[in-house]
Amino acid sequence: MADRVILTIGTKKGVFVAEAAKPRRKFELRGPFGPGVPVYSTLIDTRGTPRLYASSCNPFFGMKVLRSTNVGKGFEETKSGPAFPKDDGRALINIWSLEPGGGKKELWCGVEPASLFRSRDGGDSWEMVPGISNHEHARKWQPGNGGLCMHTIIRDGNRVHLGISTGGHYLSEDGGDTFKASNQGVGAGFAPDPYPEFGQCVHKIARHEDAPGRLYMQNHGGWADWTGPGGPRPDIGVLRSDDHGRSWRSIASGLPSDFGFPIVVHPHDADTVYVVPLEPATRSCPGGAPAVWRSENGGDSWSRLARGLPKKQSYFTILRDAMDIDHLTAPSLYFGTTTGQLWIGREGGEKWECVFDSLPPIHNVKVAVV
Amino acid sequence: MGPAPTVTVHVYGQLREYCAGASQLSVSARTVRAALEDLERSQSALYRNLCDETGKVRRHLNVFVNTDNVRDLDGIDTTLTAGDVVTILPAVSGG
Repeated sequence: MADRVILTIGTKKGVFVAEAAKPRRKFELRGPFGPGVPVYSTLIDTRGTPRLYASSCNPFFGMKVLRSTNVGKGFEETKSGPAFPKDDGRALINIWSLEPGGGKKELWCGVEPASLFRSRDGGDSWEMVPGISNHEHARKWQPGNGGLCMHTIIRDGNRVHLGISTGGHYLSEDGGDTFKASNQGVGAGFAPDPYPEFGQCVHKIARHEDAPGRLYMQNHGGWADWTGPGGPRPDIGVLRSDDHGRSWRSIASGLPSDFGFPIVVHPHDADTVYVVPLEPATRSCPGGAPAVWRSENGGDSWSRLARGLPKKQSYFTILRDAMDIDHLTAPSLYFGTTTGQLWIGREGGEKWECVFDSLPPIHNVKVAVV
Repeated sequence: MGPAPTVTVHVYGQLREYCAGASQLSVSARTVRAALEDLERSQSALYRNLCDETGKVRRHLNVFVNTDNVRDLDGIDTTLTAGDVVTILPAVSGG
């Protein structure tokens, strides 16, 4: 089969799969699968024969993991989903992240309440990872507006980075056995101490495989005008680390807002990074005019990308996992909105087109070429 | 104490795939709790849809014994008598 561009689109009403030939002129839509049930995370696993995964977060009947072995023509439940041990006292509320682990079948899964699970058999059985799930901080983390969620899992050799809202950034350097809070320079706007050890509302973390130690973070910004204890916290929302996440510095200067959810790195250039600034109070597009902002120098300066996007009267939100970029030579960005639109930004976001305009509210967008 | 009464558990349509398509299951139990424990042993896939890891009935489900919601009786400790029908349904909600 010729290379195809595959999108998984997790929505409030199930998961959709869109497919196109490499020029990406026209996408064919399939689904919804797991209809009527919210999907907060998806994974296109390209290790070996492609497999698609989706978390099916049923508020009535519990959490399931769906798997497709035919590139999204159909999905089936795995034999079991992540679950806390019976004597733990916690119960799963949502599944927020699915990521590939080592080998061909290992999967990692971040859930709400913030905890980490690992499967060694492609999602059929799961074990809790105690180093973070039973961390001494775990019972002190507080839920954000989206719940107490572990939404980011980044593996980098023996290092594992986790993003927790609200818990902050945690780093393991022993393959996930033990974790330490690693939030030097990561601000919290909603606490009297602006730089606590942990408890930050990290929204998303991204990295580039060819830039060892470099990480980008979209944190919960929007606190420049705070006048209470601890004083103003300008520019705490968009950050960069160059030491494997041990310390972080602001790269938010030049953005119209340091509040946002997703952050995405260009596949061929570690200095090129994308964010979607939102109004802090409303979590929607500033002035009703959506735009993606791009830095091509690692966050030193930013430019606005809005050609083809609405110029007014658009007040949607783009959630933390609702933007991704493909790995083709001239990559396209994709984002989904809480109003059910799926947009493509061709040539690295230079030209935007609406691909689908009436899907259910979109939580998650992932793309891969298979 | 005699044998536990035999009751019928009515299975909501969407959940029948977790118990080989059965629309009704027969269990012997003196209370709703005991009926759920029976299902945990005999129909574990169905049970996981009804109760979370801590053993609680999932938050948005209602349990009825005949026509009464158990929250108006003795919760899951409501006693059962022979011939009772236990029905577990999703709460009405929209959006």
